[in-house]
Amino acid sequence: MAACSMFRSMCTSFNSLKLCSSAFKVANVQNVNGSLVSMLAVQSRGIRQVVEKQEGKTTTLEGKILDTSAAPEPPNPAAKCPIYRWNLQHKYNYTDVLLLRQFIRSDGGLLPRRITGLCLEEHRKIAVCVQMAHRAGLLPDHRPKLPEGHVPSTKRPKPKLNRYLTHWSVNSVKPIYKKGLKWKKKPMHVGSYLLKDNVRYGVKPLYIKHF
Amino acid sequence: MSSFSRSAQQWATFARSWFLIDARMQPPGKIATMSAIRLQGKHKPIYHALSDCGDHVVIINSKEIAFSGNKWEQKVYSSHTGYPGGFKQVTAAQLHQKDPKAIVKLAIYGMLPKNLHRRTMMQRLHIFADDVLPDDVKANLTEELPQPRLIPRKLNEYTQEEIEAFPQLWTPPEDYKMK
Repeated sequence: MAACSMFRSMCTSFNSLKLCSSAFKVANVQNVNGSLVSMLAVQSRGIRQVVEKQEGKTTTLEGKILDTSAAPEPPNPAAKCPIYRWNLQHKYNYTDVLLLRQFIRSDGGLLPRRITGLCLEEHRKIAVCVQMAHRAGLLPDHRPKLPEGHVPSTKRPKPKLNRYLTHWSVNSVKPIYKKGLKWKKKPMHVGSYLLKDNVRYGVKPLYIKHF
Repeated sequence: MSSFSRSAQQWATFARSWFLIDARMQPPGKIATMSAIRLQGKHKPIYHALSDCGDHVVIINSKEIAFSGNKWEQKVYSSHTGYPGGFKQVTAAQLHQKDPKAIVKLAIYGMLPKNLHRRTMMQRLHIFADDVLPDDVKANLTEELPQPRLIPRKLNEYTQEEIEAFPQLWTPPEDYKMK
């Protein structure tokens, strides 16, 4: 038991003890969530540019592939909703910020459904994921513009609490002073019911109600 | 390891290790289960309840703990002073502001077995609100445990190439004024 830690300490050093902020990012790169980039590939045959070379009596014609910025084709172009077109139906979560940022304005609000073309259920799921991402602090640049000359009050500094999968708005929730009896306890909701059909690579079910 | 001498093997089996856990952006419950297992000694094959085989656990950055859902506002920690009218109920946010170590400490205290060994196990638990450790604790640390929850990346932590590599799912109409 102590031997395995002995061997490990010879090879590595403690990642989390370094006090400089750059080391914090290095430590957390190992814990980073994978993005959806790797599963999508560009589907286009490159346009070739013909290059002619003359060396004495021989002429060589070479077709060089140019890097054309062709828009990648969606795997299912027949569907109406963009998420169904790319087959991402039950595969995204509040952490997939690269997907969510395509449907929000610069001040954090969602774009209307008639513009984005999303179907109603996916629009609601994306709305919920964007809400959870905002509350988790994953979209720091998409904040509403404060009026000019606004000075944040120094009398009562707001406590910066880390949170994730927040279902309700922060100021709207009341503390559960009386939890209730064993067979009828008041639950604390985590995540959203709309995302219950998401793909899960594990045996444990998705718990929305925490007691 | 079979290559060790007898005394080295004896030391490796029975020595008390010091584990380090970084609680930044982690749920306190998961941190508490990992710590409680190691404080009791249940991660060792030589475990016995009476044989005092628990290890030390050092938790850092406990002020940066992350609760899922709205537990900061909904979760209530209750206590009674013993005097009439002394029933106190405090939300997790208020308790964390008063004492950033208390939430993790109470979580672990509730997960340890409810016997007289619990107090000695809690004495072997060391919680620090930030990542500044005293030198004697630093000298004793043997192993760092991996964090239970994957920390999601913020949008400003993605490089511009990664953002561009992600395909645009929908094309906006030409006359729509974007954002």
